[in-house]
Amino acid sequence: MIKNIFGWLFSPLGRIALLIGGLTVLSLAVWGISLTQASPEQPIQFPHNRHVNFGIQCLYCHPGASRGPVAGLPTQTKCWGCHQQMQITETSELLKPLVQAVENNEPIQWVPVAIVPDFVQFNHRPHIAAGVNCEDCHGDMTQVTIAENPQVFNMGWCLNCHKEHSVDNPELRTKLLDCGTCHY
Amino acid sequence: MKPIDLNEMGAIGAIAQEAEGKWGMVIDQDLCTGCQACVAACSMENNIAFVGEEDASYGRSLQWIRIERFWEGEYPEVKMTPFQPMLCQHCHNAPCEPVCPVFAAVHSPAEDLNLQVYNRCVGTRYCANNCPYQVRVFNWRDYERPEPLNNQFNPDVTVRRRGIMEKCTFCLQRIHRAEDLAKAEGREVRDGEFTTACAQACPADAIIFGRLDDPESRVNQLSKPDRGYQMLEELGTVPRITYFKEG
Ligand code: HEC
Ligand code: HEC
Ligand code: HEC
Ligand code: HEC
Ligand code: HEC
Repeated sequence: MIKNIFGWLFSPLGRIALLIGGLTVLSLAVWGISLTQASPEQPIQFPHNRHVNFGIQCLYCHPGASRGPVAGLPTQTKCWGCHQQMQITETSELLKPLVQAVENNEPIQWVPVAIVPDFVQFNHRPHIAAGVNCEDCHGDMTQVTIAENPQVFNMGWCLNCHKEHSVDNPELRTKLLDCGTCHY
Repeated sequence: MKPIDLNEMGAIGAIAQEAEGKWGMVIDQDLCTGCQACVAACSMENNIAFVGEEDASYGRSLQWIRIERFWEGEYPEVKMTPFQPMLCQHCHNAPCEPVCPVFAAVHSPAEDLNLQVYNRCVGTRYCANNCPYQVRVFNWRDYERPEPLNNQFNPDVTVRRRGIMEKCTFCLQRIHRAEDLAKAEGREVRDGEFTTACAQACPADAIIFGRLDDPESRVNQLSKPDRGYQMLEELGTVPRITYFKEG
């Protein structure tokens, strides 16, 4: 019986069937991977590139980065400060959800993309204080429309940079490579 | 893990290492009333799960600090010993560390504390069996936190899963926050600027936490009189907690 199946698989028809089967598996895999890579559906299709190119500072919208662990995502009040006075706000399709949020006084539920697992404790403040730029970790936001995560935040990546930044400072190196610095 | 140096082990090492360390604690058993406020505060601060009646009766309670009390003498002439809050002693020579096969129980060189790296832990429980103070606890299940209990999670502390060993961290998240603030302001962490959850909650001020490397700190000032002792001193683990009794 098994021999029969193998025999059939090597016949021309069987080869075509094999090919189709193989292609299906491959395309499913590609589709699955692309799902994990795509940026998630955001409540507002916020174009980072346009805002950053106007010269708005990152810290204007993400002020927590220089003060503490969390950079923070802006609320509608911050957007409204500019968009209230702008013509485009009344006409733009893209800005409808913002107008709605302001009218109903509802928070905008941004979907986070740049995240580390629960068992990692990241802190923005020391990085900004040490002069590390946003781009070094988040990529060039002048090119990005809807924020995606270009950088996989894995441990090797954190540690590599921590090693580079502490070559001539053994005390700092002990601190930056200590498990207790990031895991607790 | 640090390499084993025989000069640091046992009594020789204990004497040599006595004065060192970064963070330490003093517990005055004469002041302790056994009220359990520290136990509750610790559970809240560190996202410790409530195991429920059944698991507790199996001895699977999750507590990073517990109040111990022993009987002295033969019944009916028993005398109660003073209350003894027991938590991780953050030994300098910790017996839990060398037995971990995956290096999840490690010594923090920067803070001189014992760490448990939860995501590294595979749950062999060797460390708990080797701990002379029995302060390590194991997550036997994923314990549920039904609404609205999940709202009181401390975001600075990992929520542990099933199959993971955990223990007191000397509130490492608070240490880090204080260090971060101090660094931002360009100074050293001041003694008494922050404290652990248990020390903060103690109404009798029986638990005092602070810097061991600062001779002026409260912990060091209190350690001076000769009534302090360390738990199971003879094992040479060099604990970072000093107990007082009958002062
Ligand atoms: C006008 C306000 C504004 C400015 C300026 C701005 N951002 Fe954002 N940023 C947002 C909003 C809104 C989101 C959430 C929507 C999204 O993820 O696309 C966001 C999301 C992000 C995210 C993803 C975070 C997450 O997990 O969702 C990163 C990273 C980020 N911004 C970095 C930057 C950097 C770096 C700059 C400066 C070059 C910058 N942003 C400038 C408003 C702004
Ligand atoms: C500093 C002022 C400023 C702030 C703050 C600001 N924007 Fe804008 N936004 C602009 C300008 C200017 C434009 C471009 C208008 C144009 O291209 O004509 C724009 C364009 C947009 C567009 C594209 C509209 C379209 O139809 O092309 C969206 C969407 C948008 N903003 C969303 C937001 C959101 C959401 C926030 C809050 C996180 C925000 N903006 C905060 C100034 C601002
Ligand atoms: C050392 C690398 C690094 C640098 C530099 C850095 N970030 Fe981040 N950022 C991260 C990591 C890692 C996370 C994920 C944090 C988490 O999940 O807790 C993150 C998360 C974020 C988020 C989303 C979650 C949050 O914290 O609110 C925003 C927004 C953000 N960063 C903005 C910025 C901005 C703006 C700057 C520059 C001022 C910056 N970051 C600089 C690594 C970095
Ligand atoms: C691009 C380089 C870079 C990357 C990537 C990076 N770091 Fe850092 N990190 C630094 C520098 C520089 C410092 C500050 C050192 C100092 O205090 O002078 C620092 C400090 C820290 C501190 C504070 C240490 C202290 O002194 O208390 C923590 C926590 C930290 N990093 C966590 C992380 C984590 C988690 C990641 C990965 C998600 C990461 N870092 C990735 C460069 C980096
Ligand atoms: C600079 C910060 C940093 C330090 C220091 C650090 N880690 Fe990590 N670690 C991370 C980050 C970020 C991740 C998450 C990686 C990911 O999401 O893939 C991680 C992941 C891990 C994981 C994988 C967990 C999993 O389930 O994928 C283990 C195990 C681990 N760390 C152990 C350690 C140990 C042991 C030490 C001390 C020797 C240590 N880490 C020190 C940042 C750090």
